[in-house]
Amino acid sequence: MTGYIIRRILWIIPVLWAVATITFFLMHAVPGGPFTQDKALPDPILQALNHRYHLDQPLWRQYLSYLWDLGHLDLGLSFKGDRDVSYLIQHGFFVTAQLGLLSFCVAMAWGLFLGVISALNKNGPLDYLGVLFATVGASVPNFIAGTFLVIVFAVELHWFKIVGWGGPIDWSDTFTASAWEPRKMVLPVIALSLLPSAYIARIMRASMLEVLNQDYIRTARAKGLANNVVILRHAIKNSLIPVLTVMGPIFAYLVTGSFIIENIFSIPGIGGAFVDAVQARDYGMIMGTTLFYAAVVAFANLAVDVLYATVDPRIRYG
Amino acid sequence: MTLLKQWRSLLLGVLALAAFAAISACGDDDDNASSTATGTAGASTSATAASDAAPADQQHLIVQSLEPQFYDPHRSNFEQDISVQRHLFRGLYNLTVQSDGSAKPLPLYAAGDPTVSADGKVFTVKIKPGLKWSDGAAVTAQQFADGVKEGCNPANASPYTYLLQTVAVGGIVGVVGCDDYSSALGTKDAPKTPTPAELTALADAMGVKAVDATTLEVTLVDPLGVAAFKNVFSLWTTFPARLDIVSQFGDKWTDPEHIVSNGPFKMTELVPGDHVTLAPNPNYTAGSPTKLQSLKIQFIDDYSVGARDFQNDEIDITRIPDTDVPIDQGNDLKDELLVYGSGRITTVETQLKDPVLAKDKVRLALSQAINRDEMTAVTTSSVAQPALYWLVKGLPGHQGNAPFSSIDFDPAKAKQNLSDAGYPNGAGFPSLELTIQDTPNRKAQADYLKKAFKDNLNIDITIKAVDSKTRSQLFNSENFQLFIGGWNLDYPDPENPIVGLFNTGGGNNHYNCSDPAIDAKIEEGSRATTFEAHVKAFQEAETLIVTKLCGVIPYMQEGLPYLVNKKVGGVQPNGTIDAGGPGTWCGECWYVKAGS
Repeated sequence: MTGYIIRRILWIIPVLWAVATITFFLMHAVPGGPFTQDKALPDPILQALNHRYHLDQPLWRQYLSYLWDLGHLDLGLSFKGDRDVSYLIQHGFFVTAQLGLLSFCVAMAWGLFLGVISALNKNGPLDYLGVLFATVGASVPNFIAGTFLVIVFAVELHWFKIVGWGGPIDWSDTFTASAWEPRKMVLPVIALSLLPSAYIARIMRASMLEVLNQDYIRTARAKGLANNVVILRHAIKNSLIPVLTVMGPIFAYLVTGSFIIENIFSIPGIGGAFVDAVQARDYGMIMGTTLFYAAVVAFANLAVDVLYATVDPRIRYG
Repeated sequence: MTLLKQWRSLLLGVLALAAFAAISACGDDDDNASSTATGTAGASTSATAASDAAPADQQHLIVQSLEPQFYDPHRSNFEQDISVQRHLFRGLYNLTVQSDGSAKPLPLYAAGDPTVSADGKVFTVKIKPGLKWSDGAAVTAQQFADGVKEGCNPANASPYTYLLQTVAVGGIVGVVGCDDYSSALGTKDAPKTPTPAELTALADAMGVKAVDATTLEVTLVDPLGVAAFKNVFSLWTTFPARLDIVSQFGDKWTDPEHIVSNGPFKMTELVPGDHVTLAPNPNYTAGSPTKLQSLKIQFIDDYSVGARDFQNDEIDITRIPDTDVPIDQGNDLKDELLVYGSGRITTVETQLKDPVLAKDKVRLALSQAINRDEMTAVTTSSVAQPALYWLVKGLPGHQGNAPFSSIDFDPAKAKQNLSDAGYPNGAGFPSLELTIQDTPNRKAQADYLKKAFKDNLNIDITIKAVDSKTRSQLFNSENFQLFIGGWNLDYPDPENPIVGLFNTGGGNNHYNCSDPAIDAKIEEGSRATTFEAHVKAFQEAETLIVTKLCGVIPYMQEGLPYLVNKKVGGVQPNGTIDAGGPGTWCGECWYVKAGS
């Protein structure tokens, strides 16, 4: 297993190189640059700006310089405020990760719960309710869900706060009580976890129904095991494998796909920063966040593959 | 057994999350207490008339803004940069809103108007003595001289360097040596690599120096009027610089732990991507001190989000989109709506290299097909004002709509003009492409224009919606036929929306307007030695530009709708100056009313 993990990690390096190369040249190919604006800058000012950020060099040299710096873990500067991209990613991701992890936990807990309840009450009222939730959750985009939650539970009922993130924005504030404001966390977490929880509920329901019809379940019951024990010990565990399959992509989605929720709730996460960077042609930030996202997805998939082997003893990696 | 425990843990987890949500929802609701303020947000209240102010410990406001790119006034580019910088820094003169809504540069750090040499080229400004920065250091004439040099410093690459450059290169005041210093790195086609010593020599050669601690002398290449000088020396590019701080901390000098300021506020906290917090600068005595104890500027990019945050009582002042403007009778938010006059004219820009659009009668027909009253009502909730003019309302030289009635809505004449151009009832007219930025308000305007041209001229246009940078690239490369654009005023002088935009070969003249009569008026206005002559020449240039529709078809002067909590006092309209943040040109005027 250790050898397998090492090989997978080594494979991530060329993957990231490919992502960096494609992103670099695509980024420079799209119309407009970081200093393109209606009120065109005079040539000397444009030259001074390009010189400051080394954009006056030939593209191939910029590319090689970027790879060299990347090899030294230097992601360069953001054009927005001349801040280190690594600093911005670190800060943004700290917030996005909190949002993503909380949403992941809620999605898993709620999705599994609904899936199990639906399966155990097949074609009953609880099943229909679960299926209804799964359908609605999968159909409603999170920008609509987020806006709906804001209007109902904040603007109308004033139950929650909606400006900014309710957790610490800096690592150093993690254990500072005043940095935590749960009233700001509830709505974005619900909005972000809606789709994955619906997805998980659907998968869990289907998987559970399939497992409940397996011979070994029938055998367990025939041997006189209590229904609770059959479900908890045999059915749920074996139903989890399809859920595990999607856990990686769901986790990656939650920590990379939160930019709409970050926008609706003004959360200073990495998702919003990425979208801003693309719109502003902030080359350093685009490269940094894209590579970071690629790394997150790659490692999330690796983690899921390792989990497979843990949960299903039949799976072995050579 | 283990599985049973896991199952219980799962259930407990779900219950805990539900409890967490419930407890949070039922939390302390003090922040949501509705204000019991009196008066309306739109009332113009001077900073000195704040007898209704709440006690100092209640003087805290949270306002929405886009996130600034830089906090260094010599590197600023965008409205949101300038808005926050105006809280932190001030210059020799201060643009101050007058009772008629216009903004005039009144002495702030300057002791009075400048004295001017007989040839009109050397301006001497006395600085008020005894004024200090937030760290207690004295404000000196040398710092103002350094500020001007920083404005021309190629390392800063300030987009507003042109304010200090000569007319010959598209500039305004023409400080001696600024052209050479700012272009020390050359251009893309002819780059230069000066040594540090050469750069220092270029900076030293600039025509700005401190005669003594309180006397600044600025030498210009060409004579200039006092009013124009004062206008530019009230702007961010000329704000004083603390080179001792800059050299000590480099680009990090604007971080909260290093930054020093000479404006009404000082920075106490900055969380990139989230907010910046300001507190009163205790050493600011050049103007009215602020009454606020803290001003938190929350970075919210989406104005619709800001509107909802305002309704949830988390933001005290926010910009809102035109589409969110409360217009229904009985809408409580109507009492909290404040519409600032904007310095932006919005137009349909026409590519004059296009053989169809090069025809005068075609452009006139397009203009006469637009019902501007209806358009502004439908697409902006009447936040914008119908405009036929180019020099915006509030700007010296503004002529209003009356002189330009010939281009106003008249469907019969529009049809006739199109017919005269060779396209009777639109027959044979090619489908034109209208390029716009992909935003809801521009889409609404584009849809309106498409319908108006179809209904009134029987011609078709296609709409090309692109992101901001792509749109600008298409404009700068002159790769468009019709284009929703315009001009956002940088400073209150009629030359600002004309120089470079309509003179032949002008840097921002991408619609290729080329008319000897317009060129002559621009030259005349730029060389005028009195402000009156300066304004008159640019008025005449405007008349030519609009009546000939030389690249632009004006249709609206935009407004800036804000929601201002009733508890906030001292919020003033900002005249003709467009600000990225709410009323940021006089943050020191704001206060929280008693009983809020």
